[in-house]
Amino acid sequence: MSIAASAASSVPTAVSRGLLGCECCGLVSEVVAAADSARCPRCGFALHARKPQSLQRTAAYLMAAAVLYLPANTLPIMATASTLTGRESHTILGGIIELWHTGSWDLALIVFIASIAVPILKIAALTLLAFTARRKSRWRQAERARLYRVLETVGHWSMLDVFVVVLLVGMVHFGAFASVEPGPGLLAFGGVVVLTMLASASFDPRLIWPEPATDD
Amino acid sequence: MTDTQQPPQDYPEVTVVPRKRMRLSLAWLVPIAALLVGAVLIVRTVMQTGPTITIAFRTAEGIEASRTEVRFKEVVVGKVTKVALSPNREQVLVTVKLDKSAEHLAVEDTRFWAVRPRVGLAGVSGLGTLFSGSYIGVDAGVSNVEQSLFTGLEAPPPRLRDEPGRSFVLKARDLGSLDVGSPVYYRRTKVGRVVSYTLDPEHDTLSVQVVVTEPNDRLVTAQSRFWNASGVDLTVNANGLSLDTQSFASVLVGGVAFANPADAASAPPAADGQRFDLFTNRKAALAPPDGPPLRVRMVFDQAQRGLVAGAPVDMLGIEIGTVRSVALIDAPRGDQFPVEVIADLHPLRLGGVRRQFVVPPDGAARADALFMKRAVDHGLRAQVRTGNLLTGQLYVALDFVPKAPKDTLDARADPPTIPTVRGTLSDLQPQLADIVARLNRVKFDEIGTDLQETLRHASAAGNGLQETLTSATVAIRQLTPEAQGALAEVQKTLASTQATLANLDRNVTHGDAPLQRNFTQALVEMQRAAQALRVLSDYLQQHPESLLRGKPADADPGKPSEGGR
Repeated sequence: MSIAASAASSVPTAVSRGLLGCECCGLVSEVVAAADSARCPRCGFALHARKPQSLQRTAAYLMAAAVLYLPANTLPIMATASTLTGRESHTILGGIIELWHTGSWDLALIVFIASIAVPILKIAALTLLAFTARRKSRWRQAERARLYRVLETVGHWSMLDVFVVVLLVGMVHFGAFASVEPGPGLLAFGGVVVLTMLASASFDPRLIWPEPATDD
Repeated sequence: MTDTQQPPQDYPEVTVVPRKRMRLSLAWLVPIAALLVGAVLIVRTVMQTGPTITIAFRTAEGIEASRTEVRFKEVVVGKVTKVALSPNREQVLVTVKLDKSAEHLAVEDTRFWAVRPRVGLAGVSGLGTLFSGSYIGVDAGVSNVEQSLFTGLEAPPPRLRDEPGRSFVLKARDLGSLDVGSPVYYRRTKVGRVVSYTLDPEHDTLSVQVVVTEPNDRLVTAQSRFWNASGVDLTVNANGLSLDTQSFASVLVGGVAFANPADAASAPPAADGQRFDLFTNRKAALAPPDGPPLRVRMVFDQAQRGLVAGAPVDMLGIEIGTVRSVALIDAPRGDQFPVEVIADLHPLRLGGVRRQFVVPPDGAARADALFMKRAVDHGLRAQVRTGNLLTGQLYVALDFVPKAPKDTLDARADPPTIPTVRGTLSDLQPQLADIVARLNRVKFDEIGTDLQETLRHASAAGNGLQETLTSATVAIRQLTPEAQGALAEVQKTLASTQATLANLDRNVTHGDAPLQRNFTQALVEMQRAAQALRVLSDYLQQHPESLLRGKPADADPGKPSEGGR
């Protein structure tokens, strides 16, 4: 791990040797002209040293996610209607506060981490990664790489809220007694989760170790 | 690591496909779309939030912040966001956030009230509030002046502003079983309801507010009569037993009914808010207008068992008043204790007759008294009569008695005394005694003798009848020889028919009849044939070769062959 740390130009990489690996069939081929539109001579897969427009895309998705984060937390994610309690709409934050007040602080914590903290941390972390990659920073590259791996892993679990609400909507159909309807906040929340996943997918971790020759 | 040190020429070259790539990634469309979506969501939320108003209530019973809804026509148009005490601690200030669509409700003359579950005999209202909690009801105002501070009503308003119909005020002496929500009936159809009632401490009456909904409100005319149709009206009086109810619901719940007098069918509809009297029952309501009562006194010589306070007073068959009290007079006249009956009369109930009779009115009571005086001068007398033989109820009848001794009425006395005559029952007693006395004079023994003689004559007549019958018998006997001949013919025919039938019986149904016997023989033959066939088939099963080769020589000679058939 520590070998990748400081002297980048001296480290042998595919790019520095003018080689490209095919991500589809594994063939390694040599770059002759501008590598912008290279294709694998064996399978025809588009070849590129880095994911194309990786930082632009990551930034765009991150921005979209940040924009949607606001309605996701302010608008109700679901509305319950029942003859006993009347019609009530719930926001994520409201639900957490209610859980906290009713004494289920552990549940409140879980929901808070899964639904509020993780998305915002993910956005913040990806912003940090993209920003440092853009600056071609050599600051704590190994830690940044580890952060990226953590983000990828965590990303699979952030749709929990959406799953729960969708399950409730599907299952709670007691006619006049109780029913659950999805709210506009759920759409925004789902958007946030999907966009952060897209952002982390479009971020190329190789950009953490900048090549002296690469642009973008 | 060794791979990377190999010369580059070992690797195949990449294929270059010229392709135009945009400098700006299409991914930037995503945040733009997100911005748009977010903006739409937020703008919509902002658009949906309407004005915030404050309603002052006397108590916040059942009102909860962020739970209690504001409903207009049972549609949720807002929610309570805050419940707080007013600075002077006299009221509760309820802050309500109205929906955008309910903006027009925040105007000057809108009324708000808290709807809490009410359980009354007239039904459980606001049943939904039992589960959903109380809510705040709204009656939309029509003003254009916006307002944000309101004073809540403590009870639902009598009538919503947009509820079509008219409200009327009924003046009642007694509420009976009426309650808010009690129905108003017209011809036993529900056309409205009681919306409120107030006790008027000044006049010691009740004001009952009723609403009659459109289009039935036109049925209420200026002449309409309202009465309390609550419960069962069971009365035993001189008219017998009478039971009067409206609908079954009104028996339980109570209600108000109204009707129009027959002569007032074309009267114009009553104005909104007109006052009516609420009568205690239908009869009282539909009686012609009474006017102030004229109190009169009648003195009867006989005991009047069965005449009670409340008994009707008839005049020429029309009930014009009621007996108020029956008492023995203090001062005995001779050896008798006369009965003094005080009654209230309403001569106005006589209608046209009274109007014709009446002298120029000088004060209503005096006019009635003068009318009675003229009637008495023409022979009007009071008489106690039996109204109902079953119950023994009595009533006072005012009637013109032709041969009454001359009498008059002092119109200035208070109360004036109407002269009386003996009642029908008291007339009957001497007459009955007279009849008994006459019966006593009848010679029953002479009648018996006459009767016996009459019977003897009847017996002679009977003998004559017997003779006539004998001659009739002879005549019939002369007729018989011919009839006997005819009968003999019939008998002969019958005998021949019988012979034919016996013949038939012998030939067909009898056991030895030829038809029967032949049939039995045929059956026996068939049975034999069947037996032979069975034997043949058995043999063939055992010796199928015999079909080709014929019967072997050692075959059982006892068995019949095919030719045996």
